[in-house]
Amino acid sequence: MDVYRITKEPIDVEEALQAIADPAVGAQAIFLGTVRNEFEGKSSQGLYYDAYVGLAEKELAQIGAELKDEFGARHVVLIHRTGDLPVGAISVLVAVSTGHRPEAFEAARHGIDRVKARVPIWKKEHWSDGGDAWHHDPTAFGLT
Amino acid sequence: MSQDITVTTLFFSFAADRMNCRNKNYVIPQGTTLGEMVHLLQPQLGPDSTHWLYSVNEEWASGERPLEDGDEIAVIPPVSGG
Repeated sequence: MDVYRITKEPIDVEEALQAIADPAVGAQAIFLGTVRNEFEGKSSQGLYYDAYVGLAEKELAQIGAELKDEFGARHVVLIHRTGDLPVGAISVLVAVSTGHRPEAFEAARHGIDRVKARVPIWKKEHWSDGGDAWHHDPTAFGLT
Repeated sequence: MSQDITVTTLFFSFAADRMNCRNKNYVIPQGTTLGEMVHLLQPQLGPDSTHWLYSVNEEWASGERPLEDGDEIAVIPPVSGG
Protein backbone atom coordinates (compact mmCIF):
# COMPACT_ATOMS: atom_id res chain seq x y z
CA MET A 1 0.00 0.00 0.00
CA ASP A 2 0.95 3.65 -0.36
CA VAL A 3 1.15 6.32 2.33
CA TYR A 4 1.36 10.08 1.61
CA ARG A 5 1.26 12.05 4.83
CA ILE A 6 2.21 15.27 6.57
CA THR A 7 2.20 14.66 10.32
CA LYS A 8 3.11 16.22 13.66
CA GLU A 9 3.69 12.73 15.10
CA PRO A 10 7.05 10.92 15.16
CA ILE A 11 7.72 8.98 11.94
CA ASP A 12 7.26 5.23 12.39
CA VAL A 13 9.78 3.37 10.22
CA GLU A 14 8.19 -0.01 11.01
CA GLU A 15 4.83 1.20 9.65
CA ALA A 16 6.55 2.18 6.38
CA LEU A 17 8.23 -1.21 6.05
CA GLN A 18 4.90 -2.95 6.52
CA ALA A 19 3.26 -0.68 3.92
CA ILE A 20 5.79 -1.48 1.18
CA ALA A 21 5.96 -5.24 1.93
CA ASP A 22 4.84 -7.37 -1.03
CA PRO A 23 5.66 -10.97 -2.00
CA ALA A 24 6.19 -9.82 -5.59
CA VAL A 25 9.05 -7.41 -4.80
CA GLY A 26 12.73 -8.26 -4.54
CA ALA A 27 13.98 -4.89 -3.28
CA GLN A 28 13.07 -2.27 -0.73
CA ALA A 29 14.85 1.05 -0.22
CA ILE A 30 14.30 3.46 2.62
CA PHE A 31 15.68 6.97 3.04
CA LEU A 32 15.50 8.92 6.30
CA GLY A 33 16.26 12.62 6.54
CA THR A 34 17.34 13.73 10.01
CA VAL A 35 17.82 17.06 11.78
CA ARG A 36 21.46 18.18 11.70
CA ASN A 37 23.30 20.12 14.42
CA GLU A 38 24.61 22.82 12.08
CA PHE A 39 23.81 24.67 8.87
CA GLU A 40 26.59 26.17 6.76
CA GLY A 41 28.93 26.07 9.73
CA LYS A 42 26.58 27.68 12.24
CA SER A 43 25.55 25.62 15.26
CA SER A 44 21.85 24.74 15.39
CA GLN A 45 19.78 23.16 18.13
CA GLY A 46 16.89 22.04 15.94
CA LEU A 47 14.41 22.83 13.21
CA TYR A 48 10.82 23.99 12.98
CA TYR A 49 8.88 22.67 9.97
CA ASP A 50 5.70 24.21 8.60
CA ALA A 51 3.60 22.86 5.71
CA TYR A 52 0.56 23.68 3.62
CA VAL A 53 -0.88 20.31 4.50
CA GLY A 54 -3.63 19.95 1.88
CA LEU A 55 -1.49 20.81 -1.12
CA ALA A 56 1.59 19.08 0.36
CA GLU A 57 -0.20 15.73 0.64
CA LYS A 58 -1.50 16.07 -2.94
CA GLU A 59 2.03 16.78 -4.16
CA LEU A 60 3.40 13.76 -2.24
CA ALA A 61 0.78 11.58 -3.97
CA GLN A 62 1.74 13.08 -7.36
CA ILE A 63 5.41 12.25 -6.71
CA GLY A 64 4.43 8.72 -5.69
CA ALA A 65 2.57 8.27 -8.99
CA GLU A 66 5.68 9.46 -10.85
CA LEU A 67 7.90 6.96 -9.01
CA LYS A 68 5.53 4.18 -10.08
CA ASP A 69 5.42 5.36 -13.72
CA GLU A 70 9.12 6.08 -14.13
CA PHE A 71 10.80 3.47 -11.92
CA GLY A 72 8.21 0.76 -11.60
CA ALA A 73 7.77 1.25 -7.86
CA ARG A 74 5.04 -1.06 -6.59
CA HIS A 75 4.54 0.67 -3.25
CA VAL A 76 5.56 4.14 -2.11
CA VAL A 77 5.58 5.76 1.34
CA LEU A 78 6.32 9.49 1.61
CA ILE A 79 5.96 11.00 5.08
CA HIS A 80 7.15 14.43 6.27
CA ARG A 81 6.96 15.59 9.86
CA THR A 82 6.14 19.15 10.96
CA GLY A 83 6.56 21.15 14.16
CA ASP A 84 9.63 21.60 16.37
CA LEU A 85 12.16 18.79 15.92
CA PRO A 86 15.35 18.30 17.94
CA VAL A 87 18.73 17.38 16.46
CA GLY A 88 18.69 13.72 15.37
CA ALA A 89 14.93 13.46 14.83
CA ILE A 90 13.65 11.95 11.58
CA SER A 91 12.04 14.74 9.55
CA VAL A 92 11.26 12.86 6.34
CA LEU A 93 10.91 9.25 5.19
CA VAL A 94 10.92 7.83 1.66
CA ALA A 95 10.28 4.10 1.29
CA VAL A 96 9.79 2.19 -1.95
CA SER A 97 9.57 -1.40 -3.05
CA THR A 98 10.42 -2.57 -6.56
CA GLY A 99 11.15 -5.72 -8.50
CA HIS A 100 14.92 -5.36 -8.36
CA ARG A 101 17.71 -3.39 -6.66
CA PRO A 102 18.60 -0.68 -9.24
CA GLU A 103 15.07 0.73 -9.48
CA ALA A 104 14.72 0.76 -5.70
CA PHE A 105 17.75 3.05 -5.30
CA GLU A 106 16.66 5.21 -8.23
CA ALA A 107 13.09 5.60 -6.99
CA ALA A 108 14.17 6.47 -3.45
CA ARG A 109 16.75 8.99 -4.72
CA HIS A 110 14.29 10.73 -7.02
CA GLY A 111 11.63 10.54 -4.34
CA ILE A 112 13.58 12.55 -1.77
CA ASP A 113 14.89 14.98 -4.41
CA ARG A 114 11.36 15.75 -5.63
CA VAL A 115 9.97 16.06 -2.10
CA LYS A 116 12.66 18.63 -1.30
CA ALA A 117 12.17 20.54 -4.55
CA ARG A 118 8.40 20.66 -4.87
CA VAL A 119 6.37 19.97 -1.73
CA PRO A 120 5.15 23.09 0.13
CA ILE A 121 7.11 22.55 3.36
CA TRP A 122 9.44 25.08 4.99
CA LYS A 123 12.10 24.77 7.67
CA LYS A 124 13.40 27.28 10.18
CA GLU A 125 16.72 26.92 12.01
CA HIS A 126 16.76 27.42 15.75
CA TRP A 127 20.32 28.64 16.21
CA SER A 128 22.25 27.56 19.29
CA ASP A 129 23.06 31.20 20.08
CA GLY A 130 19.34 32.13 20.04
CA GLY A 131 17.45 33.58 17.11
CA ASP A 132 16.12 31.69 14.15
CA ALA A 133 15.99 31.84 10.36
CA TRP A 134 13.73 30.44 7.63
CA HIS A 135 15.72 28.69 4.92
CA HIS A 136 15.76 30.61 1.60
CA ASP A 137 14.79 33.85 3.37
CA PRO A 138 17.16 36.31 1.69
CA THR A 139 17.15 38.59 4.72
CA ALA A 140 18.01 35.79 7.16
CA PHE A 141 21.35 34.65 5.72
CA GLY A 142 22.93 37.97 4.84
CA LEU A 143 22.23 37.61 1.12
CA THR A 144 20.82 41.11 0.70
CA MET B 1 -22.57 45.70 -12.91
CA SER B 2 -19.44 44.38 -11.28
CA GLN B 3 -19.53 42.95 -7.80
CA ASP B 4 -16.88 42.38 -5.19
CA ILE B 5 -15.75 38.95 -4.03
CA THR B 6 -13.97 37.82 -0.87
CA VAL B 7 -10.90 35.57 -1.01
CA THR B 8 -8.80 34.08 1.78
CA THR B 9 -5.04 34.24 1.38
CA LEU B 10 -2.60 32.01 3.30
CA PHE B 11 1.01 32.99 3.95
CA PHE B 12 3.81 30.60 4.91
CA SER B 13 7.42 30.79 6.06
CA PHE B 14 9.06 34.20 5.66
CA ALA B 15 6.08 35.39 3.59
CA ALA B 16 4.04 35.17 6.82
CA ASP B 17 6.78 37.14 8.61
CA ARG B 18 6.66 39.85 5.95
CA MET B 19 2.84 40.06 6.14
CA ASN B 20 2.75 39.79 9.95
CA CYS B 21 0.00 37.19 9.65
CA ARG B 22 -0.66 33.66 8.43
CA ASN B 23 -3.92 34.43 6.67
CA LYS B 24 -6.01 37.39 5.62
CA ASN B 25 -9.27 38.00 3.77
CA TYR B 26 -9.33 40.41 0.86
CA VAL B 27 -12.34 42.00 -0.85
CA ILE B 28 -11.51 42.43 -4.53
CA PRO B 29 -13.46 43.13 -7.74
CA GLN B 30 -15.03 40.17 -9.49
CA GLY B 31 -12.87 39.10 -12.42
CA THR B 32 -9.58 39.83 -10.64
CA THR B 33 -6.93 37.33 -11.71
CA LEU B 34 -4.39 35.62 -9.45
CA GLY B 35 -1.64 37.65 -11.14
CA GLU B 36 -3.43 40.90 -10.33
CA MET B 37 -3.88 39.73 -6.74
CA VAL B 38 -0.14 38.98 -6.47
CA HIS B 39 0.58 42.46 -7.84
CA LEU B 40 -1.71 43.88 -5.15
CA LEU B 41 0.26 42.04 -2.42
CA GLN B 42 3.70 42.79 -3.84
CA PRO B 43 4.45 46.02 -1.92
CA GLN B 44 4.23 44.11 1.37
CA LEU B 45 5.37 40.66 0.12
CA GLY B 46 8.47 42.03 -1.58
CA PRO B 47 9.74 42.16 -5.19
CA ASP B 48 10.88 38.50 -5.14
CA SER B 49 7.24 37.40 -4.68
CA THR B 50 6.60 37.63 -8.44
CA HIS B 51 8.90 34.59 -8.85
CA TRP B 52 7.15 32.47 -6.22
CA LEU B 53 4.50 29.79 -6.73
CA TYR B 54 0.83 30.21 -5.89
CA SER B 55 -2.12 27.89 -5.49
CA VAL B 56 -5.88 28.32 -5.55
CA ASN B 57 -8.03 25.87 -3.59
CA GLU B 58 -5.04 23.54 -3.03
CA GLU B 59 -4.10 23.35 -6.71
CA TRP B 60 -1.10 25.03 -8.36
CA ALA B 61 -2.34 28.03 -10.32
CA SER B 62 -0.95 30.47 -12.89
CA GLY B 63 -1.39 34.23 -13.06
CA GLU B 64 -4.18 34.21 -15.62
CA ARG B 65 -6.53 32.28 -13.37
CA PRO B 66 -9.64 34.35 -12.51
CA LEU B 67 -10.50 34.32 -8.82
CA GLU B 68 -13.93 33.46 -7.48
CA ASP B 69 -15.77 34.26 -4.29
CA GLY B 70 -14.55 32.04 -1.44
CA ASP B 71 -11.30 30.99 -3.12
CA GLU B 72 -8.38 30.02 -0.89
CA ILE B 73 -5.13 31.41 -2.28
CA ALA B 74 -1.78 30.24 -0.90
CA VAL B 75 1.45 32.20 -1.25
CA ILE B 76 4.25 29.64 -1.60
CA PRO B 77 7.74 31.11 -1.15
CA PRO B 78 10.70 28.84 -2.08
CA VAL B 79 10.19 25.51 -0.32
CA SER B 80 12.76 23.91 2.00
CA GLY B 81 11.45 20.54 3.13
CA GLY B 82 13.64 17.53 3.74
